[in-house]
Amino acid sequence: MLTSLRKTWYVTAKDLLIVAKDRGAWMTLLVTPLVVIVIVSFALSPVYKGGSLHATLLVSNHDAGGLGKQLTDSLAASPNITIQAAGDRESKTLKQGGSSYGLSLVIPPDFSARVQAGQSVQLQVYDDPNSTTAAPFLKGMIDGAASRFSAVEVAAKAAVSAAIRQNPHADAAAVASRASAAAGAQIANQPIQVKEEPAAGVKTLNTFDIETPGFAVMFLLFGVMIGAEGLLEERDKGTMGRLLVAPVSQASILGGKLLAQFAVSMVQITLLFAVGHFAFGMDTGNSLAGLALMLAATAFTATSFGLLLAALTKTRRQASSVGILAILLMSALGGSWWPLDIVPSFMRKLGHLSMNAWALDGIKGIIIQGQGFIDILPQAGVLLAYGSVCFLIGLKMFKFRAA
Amino acid sequence: MLVQADNLVKKFGKVNAVDGVSFSIGEGQIFGLLGPNGAGKTTTISILSTYLKPTSGEATVDGFSVTRQAGRVRNIIGFVPQEIALYPTLTALQNLKFYGKMYGLGGAALTERCRNVLELVELWERRHDNIEHFSGGMKRRINLGAGLLHNPRFLLLDEPTVGVDPQSREHIFDTIIKIRDNGSTILYTSHYMEEIELLCDRIAIMDRGKVIASGTLKELLKMLGEGGVIELEVAPPGCPAGLEARITDQQEVTGIRKEGNKLFVSSSDSARSLPPVMKVLEEAGCQVSSLELYAPSLEKLFIQLTGKELRE
Ligand SMILES: Nc1ncnc2c1ncn2[C@@H]1O[C@H](COP(=O)(O)OP(=O)(O)O)[C@@H](O)[C@H]1O
Ligand SMILES: [Mg+2]
Repeated sequence: MLTSLRKTWYVTAKDLLIVAKDRGAWMTLLVTPLVVIVIVSFALSPVYKGGSLHATLLVSNHDAGGLGKQLTDSLAASPNITIQAAGDRESKTLKQGGSSYGLSLVIPPDFSARVQAGQSVQLQVYDDPNSTTAAPFLKGMIDGAASRFSAVEVAAKAAVSAAIRQNPHADAAAVASRASAAAGAQIANQPIQVKEEPAAGVKTLNTFDIETPGFAVMFLLFGVMIGAEGLLEERDKGTMGRLLVAPVSQASILGGKLLAQFAVSMVQITLLFAVGHFAFGMDTGNSLAGLALMLAATAFTATSFGLLLAALTKTRRQASSVGILAILLMSALGGSWWPLDIVPSFMRKLGHLSMNAWALDGIKGIIIQGQGFIDILPQAGVLLAYGSVCFLIGLKMFKFRAA
Repeated sequence: MLVQADNLVKKFGKVNAVDGVSFSIGEGQIFGLLGPNGAGKTTTISILSTYLKPTSGEATVDGFSVTRQAGRVRNIIGFVPQEIALYPTLTALQNLKFYGKMYGLGGAALTERCRNVLELVELWERRHDNIEHFSGGMKRRINLGAGLLHNPRFLLLDEPTVGVDPQSREHIFDTIIKIRDNGSTILYTSHYMEEIELLCDRIAIMDRGKVIASGTLKELLKMLGEGGVIELEVAPPGCPAGLEARITDQQEVTGIRKEGNKLFVSSSDSARSLPPVMKVLEEAGCQVSSLELYAPSLEKLFIQLTGKELRE
């Protein structure tokens, strides 16, 4: 057993040594994705700042206290939003649950009172069903603005999430109800404290927040594709044959290689995020543990995808042509190239057949929507299940001997 | 006998790559498998090395079954595949260390074995160079070395000299002899008959998955007739029927085989057989367009047995 583990580790170490010595691999793993991320982020920054992401938010503020106004002001500070106060007629329609005014926010009369009492508050947010471009980002921003009310953070956020339920194409119901429950629990043992933030401190969207995760996940997949090719090469060049007739188990051979691939993927995605953060100010959200979990789950699932790719293809060439097609499809459908918030709902559903969508939902949940560890557990769970299925099928179908 | 192969059969779909192969190898011997490309040498060696399972038949190494006790067999054998099975971007030493660890070597023993092997294949000075920068012959030598680290009792070498320069070939031969003198038993496959003639104590000639002849070099050459072979080419329209029987009746002639316009006459003394054979042909009205006399060789034996050249 111990010998077996030791030999597994030797295989891992050997593969890591090969990757470490391979400059071409590092180009593909790190340099190329960074170049793409930087170009796309700078190219698209006007689109996300101001540009088509700009929207008018109709605010119907019924709050008797001052917090409603504070919330409105902090939203107004964002370059993406122009606040328009609701008139009587509009307020009336909104009260009846109408959403014909595009993006609208209703602040209830007891907002200040309930916040100060540490109770949960219902902020109603209505989407504009016709203009899907801006809404999801802005929802995130309202969320963010509400979160500035420090102690109330969780409560206000949960309320926004709950309100999304009314939007027919947001299937966040499960998340919302769980979040509300979590929020309630937290509020119960937190002192009430309203913290004022300078209006300028309101977070504006950095394009690197959107592009870094998207392209990092795509290039992670390209990385494991190279790994899959390496696996087939090891098999076809006879080195694996040599190992198979040595006193080493197949589990050690493949396990060692997969462990090395996972480590390489982990280093790759972590470095890409680190550069995004330190060089370009990409936000890392409020939960580093949550982010770490998402990155690890993503690296695991990518590694499993690589194994599946090697198992389903016969040759190196096949692995790369099938791999490129699959990766581009998954990346386009799964939101690596543009946020899934802006695509029609059936495309969004289709996109969730890819691992990218689940990975990006969780990662962006943390770095854009400021979600916590608990919030992204569903995405991490689905991702891990996804990876496990790929892993098991890959394991079952991988052939140690070329046909 | 250290190694015993018993009626091995391996089918790939409809192809019988190995078709009822049996042989045995005594401890300390170099056993040669000679045959053209596609004869089934690699498949045979793959079965013995536990890499492939035979469709039927059985083989044992030191009494352990290669199918049912593969784990035991793997500890005894060293395998050097036909292709260069090394990591090209790692150095010679990194490659050897890795394979050594796979055989359970470590620490000072590993360091020492790597050094011994590198000195044996005379590449110690180049140990820190990447394999990809080596010449074909040097790669072959490291490829061989990687199978020697754990001092295997039974070493399987699949065409270890393919594509190497004469100097490296010499090196490899020297190395193999040294390994044998150290007590290892060796299975050596090749399609070069000179190599097999030079190195091997016992030889099996394979063609189309079957062993068509086996024995020591002497025994095999005896099959040709000690005197050698007379190869005659007869001008069209060739020889009349019944001629072969009359040639066989001549002095010292031990056998005859006809292939198209060619006649291969084996004889225990070809110089003495030649005049009467020529006379028979003349009387039959056959015109001899070319004539050659050969000393016996495995090459000739192979042609005699299969009607084709060893090297296409
Ligand atoms: N994996 C395989 N699948 C199908 N046919 C094979 C396979 N390996 C070998 N063969 C066939 O079996 C025969 C013997 O091959 P091989 O053992 O490699 O011969 P040799 O080593 O003597 O050149 C050939 O006809 C070859 O094409
Ligand atoms: Mg071969």
